[in-house]
Amino acid sequence: MKVRITLFGALRDADTRGFIELEAPDACTIGTLRDLLRDHLRENAPHISVNLVQRCAFASDDEILHNHRTLPESGQLAILPPVSGG
Amino acid sequence: MSDIYTAVVDMSTTSPDSATPLDPAAALAFVSDPRFGGIDMFVGKVREHNLGRLVTGISYDLFEPLALRTFQAIGERARSQIGGPMKLYIAHAKGDLRIGDVAVIVAAGTPHRDEAFRACRFAIEAVKHEAPIWKQEHYIDGDSAWSEGCSLCEEPRDAEGTVAKHENAEGHSHTHGH
Repeated sequence: MKVRITLFGALRDADTRGFIELEAPDACTIGTLRDLLRDHLRENAPHISVNLVQRCAFASDDEILHNHRTLPESGQLAILPPVSGG
Repeated sequence: MSDIYTAVVDMSTTSPDSATPLDPAAALAFVSDPRFGGIDMFVGKVREHNLGRLVTGISYDLFEPLALRTFQAIGERARSQIGGPMKLYIAHAKGDLRIGDVAVIVAAGTPHRDEAFRACRFAIEAVKHEAPIWKQEHYIDGDSAWSEGCSLCEEPRDAEGTVAKHENAEGHSHTHGH
């Protein structure tokens, strides 16, 4: 399935469009998607640190999705770097 | 009417002539109630120095739908821990702010001051550590940097799980500029 990952904060530098699209297996976990994204960034945005990707959370509009969760059917996700509000 | 007010205020769509886009008076009005004798309010503003660098302004990036859900969930946790009547107001700015602009307002109204202080402290710490919000600082030399933050990968820490233990809320390993 095609997955669209919306970028925020420091990860906006990874793609000026504000999102990244990846092809992922249908029954893919968030952990697997994280590996796919890391490989994609290594190729296409090498200035983004691997460590930052490891510290990011994935989320739907409703909730944080930890590594064991499967991709939402919509294929729409956000990737959230460490937060710094307030 | 709900006892919990949550908002994201987009600075790019608020008129510069309007009194204050994020308005402490509106927060006080919301949490005021004939039942309540105690109100506590936290107002976070943009300051001109951080970690020894001169700041000219900041920009906030937010994942708005999840930020609003997070504010609401924080309010409901505060209410269940206070265990009595409470009104809570949480509003955060989005977009570009100048020095002195209001970035965040949290206000709590309760029958007595102790619950108001505790609910307000709990809510602002939780907003800082849990809400999907990112701060980019702009410096006088033209450089910009995203602030180091709190990872959302881990489940919420026990230290932030109770209203009473707010003194532990910053007891984690990295340093904050706040």
